[in-house]
Amino acid sequence: MMDSEATVYELSVPGRPGVSLPLLDVPETSFPDVPLREELRLPELSELDVTRHYQRLSQRNFGVDSGFYPLGSCTMKYNPKINEAIAQMAGFAQTHPLQSEDSVQGNLELICRLQDWLAEIGGFDRVSLQPAAGANGELAALLMMRAYHKDHGEKGRTQVLIPDSAHGTNPASTSMAGFDVLEIPSDERGNLNIDALRSACDDTVVGIMLTNPNTLGLFEEQVREITDIVHSCGALVYGDGANMNALTGIVQPRDLGIDLMHFNLHKTFSTPHGGGGPGSGPLGAAGPLCDYLPGPIVERRNRDGGGYCYDIVIPDRSIGRTCTYFGNFAVLVRTYAYIRMLGAEGLKQNALHAVLNANYLRVRLQEAYKVPFDRLCMHEFVCEGVATGTGVRAIDISKRLIDYGFHPPTNYFPLIVREALMIEPTETESKPTLDAYIEAMLMIADEVRKAPDVLKSAPHTAPVGRLDEVKAARDLKLCDPTIFT
Amino acid sequence: MERNWDDIEVHSSTVLTVGFIVNPIAGMGGRVGLKGTDDVVNRARALGAVASAHLKARETLHALKTLLKSSSGAVAIRWVTCSPPMGEDVLREEGFEDILVVYRPTEDTTRTDTSNAARAFMAHSVDLILFCGGDGTARDICMIVGKTIPVLGIPSGVKMYSGVFGVSPVSVAEIVTAFAQGSISTAEVEILDLDEELYRRNEWEVRLYQTAVTPFEPTLVQSAKMLITETGDDDARADIASYLADIIAAKPETLFLLGPGSTVKAVADAIGLEKALLGIDAWLAGKVAGSDLNENDILTLLKHHPRCKLVLSPIGAQGFILGRGNLQLSPQIVRIIGRENIFILATPAKLARTSILRVDTGDRTLDAEIVGDGHLPVIVGDRRRRMVRLVA
Repeated sequence: MMDSEATVYELSVPGRPGVSLPLLDVPETSFPDVPLREELRLPELSELDVTRHYQRLSQRNFGVDSGFYPLGSCTMKYNPKINEAIAQMAGFAQTHPLQSEDSVQGNLELICRLQDWLAEIGGFDRVSLQPAAGANGELAALLMMRAYHKDHGEKGRTQVLIPDSAHGTNPASTSMAGFDVLEIPSDERGNLNIDALRSACDDTVVGIMLTNPNTLGLFEEQVREITDIVHSCGALVYGDGANMNALTGIVQPRDLGIDLMHFNLHKTFSTPHGGGGPGSGPLGAAGPLCDYLPGPIVERRNRDGGGYCYDIVIPDRSIGRTCTYFGNFAVLVRTYAYIRMLGAEGLKQNALHAVLNANYLRVRLQEAYKVPFDRLCMHEFVCEGVATGTGVRAIDISKRLIDYGFHPPTNYFPLIVREALMIEPTETESKPTLDAYIEAMLMIADEVRKAPDVLKSAPHTAPVGRLDEVKAARDLKLCDPTIFT
Repeated sequence: MERNWDDIEVHSSTVLTVGFIVNPIAGMGGRVGLKGTDDVVNRARALGAVASAHLKARETLHALKTLLKSSSGAVAIRWVTCSPPMGEDVLREEGFEDILVVYRPTEDTTRTDTSNAARAFMAHSVDLILFCGGDGTARDICMIVGKTIPVLGIPSGVKMYSGVFGVSPVSVAEIVTAFAQGSISTAEVEILDLDEELYRRNEWEVRLYQTAVTPFEPTLVQSAKMLITETGDDDARADIASYLADIIAAKPETLFLLGPGSTVKAVADAIGLEKALLGIDAWLAGKVAGSDLNENDILTLLKHHPRCKLVLSPIGAQGFILGRGNLQLSPQIVRIIGRENIFILATPAKLARTSILRVDTGDRTLDAEIVGDGHLPVIVGDRRRRMVRLVA
C-alpha cells in the first residue's frame, strides 16, 4: 500500500514563500473593517512543493486515459482529444452567452446542426439541447407530459410506470415532478413483464419511463407491444436514452413508439464524465409534444431577399428553461466534433463494436461467473459476483480488480440481480485489453475458492484500502474542521 | 500481476453467542400424513415416522463449519445449547467444541422443553437463537423471547408459514455467518401456526400468533443513479406508514379497517390508533371506530359506513393477503368492501421473500375476482407502488 499523501496544510512550513509579490507601487489606503478577517490560514509552500504534491495526487487518479474502465451503465468510452481542441477554439470558448444573436451566428449554427443530428439519430421531430444532464432531461420530459395531459383535460393521471430494472434517477425524477411511482417487474428473460404492465395501465397513468436496452443490457424483445399498450391507455412513452450507445445508427427510438427521449452526451457522444460534469441531456420529442420542449432552441430562417440566419426561439407551449442560456454549450461543441469526426457510418460502427465487445466478455466470463439473463446482450451485461459457501460478495470481486489494475464494474445495480456486477466495455477497447481483463476476472474467480480472504480485504495496492462508500456519500465532509476553526 | 495473499491482515475475531435448539420430532408427522407433530408423536412413530430434524441440522452445521473456516478465525461461534437429543449431540457430531449446555430436556421431548430451553438461552444473553423445527417450534421459542433476540429457523417442520425460516439448511448457514460478521441486520416477521387439532379434523385455521425478529439482509435501495444504500425494514415501514397516514387524513368520511401485522400496525401508530397486533381495528374521521373486531362487528360497521377501505399486509412466509391470520374478514365482508378498496402494504424486504401474493378466502369465486388479471399494486414506500403477482 502506498504512503498516504499529506494535505497542503500538513505540508505547510511557516514563512516558506510560494511567490514573491512585487513591492506595493500604489498609495496605501484604508479598507472597511467589516469584510476583514482576523486570520486566513493559507498553506505556505514553495512552487516545487505544490507541483510535486499535485503531481503525486494526479498519479493516484484512475481514468479512461489511464486504464480500462468497464463501469456498467456509464459508457466510459475514450474521449477523443480532438473534442477538447475544438472546444478550446477561441470562437467557441471566448463567446459570451449574453452576446447579441447576430454576433454569435456561428455558435447558433452549431447548436442548430446538433439539434438536427440528434433528431435524426433518435427519429424525433425536434430536439432541445437545454437539459444539463440525463436526470435533468428526465425531469423536463415528465414536466412536458404533465403539461400535455393538462392541456388535454386529463388531470387524474398521477402514476408513472417504471420497470424494476430502471436507473434510480427515474423514480427520483418522478417524485420531483410530483407523480407517484408504480414499479413494473421484469420477467424471467429480463424483459418487462407484459401482463403486469397491462394490469397497471389505466387512466391514472401519466406514462412509462423505458430504458432500452434495459439496464441488464438486454433489448426489450416486446418493445413495440409495450409502447402500444401504454399508448392505448392514453399515456405517453418516455425513453431513457442512457443506453443509446448500443443503438446509435442502427435503431431510431421513435420507431419503437417512444414519444420523448433524452440523450446522454457524456455517455454516447464521448464528452467527459465525472469531476462534477458538466453533463448534457438533450431531449427529443415527436409530434405534438415538440411544442412543450424546454427552450430556447435554435432555428434556421431564410432571410427575405436571400441568405439565412439562426434565431433563438421558445417553443409555443414550452415548459420553460431547465438550464441557464443554451445548456452546457462547451459540451455541445465536443459532441458536435465527435459526430462530425465519425459521420453516420462511424457512429453505427461504434454501436456495433460496443455490442460485440460486451458479448465477447459475456461469453468468456460465463465459465466463471453466472449470467442470470443469458441471451445476446447489447452494450453491457450483468453477472453475479457471488460464490455460495465462500462468503465472497460482488464488492469483494470489484475491489480485487483494482489490485489487477482495472476499474471495477458497477456493483449491486440493477437491484434485480443478486450481487450484480454490471460490465460495459464500450467500443473503444481493443481485444488485448479485453483479454487482459478476462484473465484478471478468471484469476479472481480462482482466488474466490483458494484464498477468499484476499478478496474480502482488497484492495491491497491502492493508496487507501476498503472505504465506507455509503458513509462517504451520505456524510460528505469537504472541509477539515481542525484546519478551518 | 502480483498476488500476495499470504500477508493479508486478518480481522480481529468476532464471537457470536448462538442458542441452538433442535426439536428432534419436528417434521415427523408430515411424513405420515399427520399434518403436524404436536401432541401426536407416538402415533407418528407407530405409523413408521423417523426423525429427520437431526439430518437438516447437521446439513446447516456442516456448511457453517466450512464458512467459519474460510473466514480464517475472523468469526467464531460460542454455542449455548441443550443436552441430547436437542442440540449438543448434533454440534459434537459436526466437530464444534465451544459448547455450553444450559438445559437438559426430559426423555420424550415436548413443547415445554423448547420453551424452557428458550428461557435458559435468554438467561445466558445469546445473540441469536438458531433452531431446527417448524412453525410449532418457532411459536414455542418466540412466545418466550418475543422480539428481544433474533430467531432463525432451519426448515424441517411439517408447516413453515412463519417468516423466520431460511430457504434451505445451507442458506441458514450463510445467514448465520453474515449475521456474525455484522453485514446483515434484522427484520420483523410474523409467527404463524395452523391449529393442528382443527386441521386434523380437516378444518383450516392458520393463526397469526405474534411477530419476531430474524436476521435479514438489508434491502438495497437506490439513493442516487447507481449509489445503492441499504435500508432497514423499520425505515421502509415508516415510509409506508406516513404515506398511508396522509391518505387516511385526506378521507375523513371513509371508514378504514386496519388488518393484522406489523406493517399495518405502523400505520396505526402513525395516525395515533392504539392497535392490537393481531386484530382488526376501525378508524373513522380521526377516531377509533372499533377495536379487535370480529366478523359481526365489521358487518355492522359496514352497514353504517358503506364507504370503506381495507388496509392489509401479506402475512407470513407465503404471502397470503386474505385467509391467513385475518379470518375475521369473511368472504361476505370482502365482497362488500370490493377489490378496488383494498390497500396492500409490504416492505421491500417482505416482498423479497414473498414475490407472489396469495388469497384464500375459502370462496373460490371471490378468490378469482380478487385475483383478477393476476397482478395487484402493492404500496412499498412513500408514493411508491409495485405490481406484484397474485394467485389464489
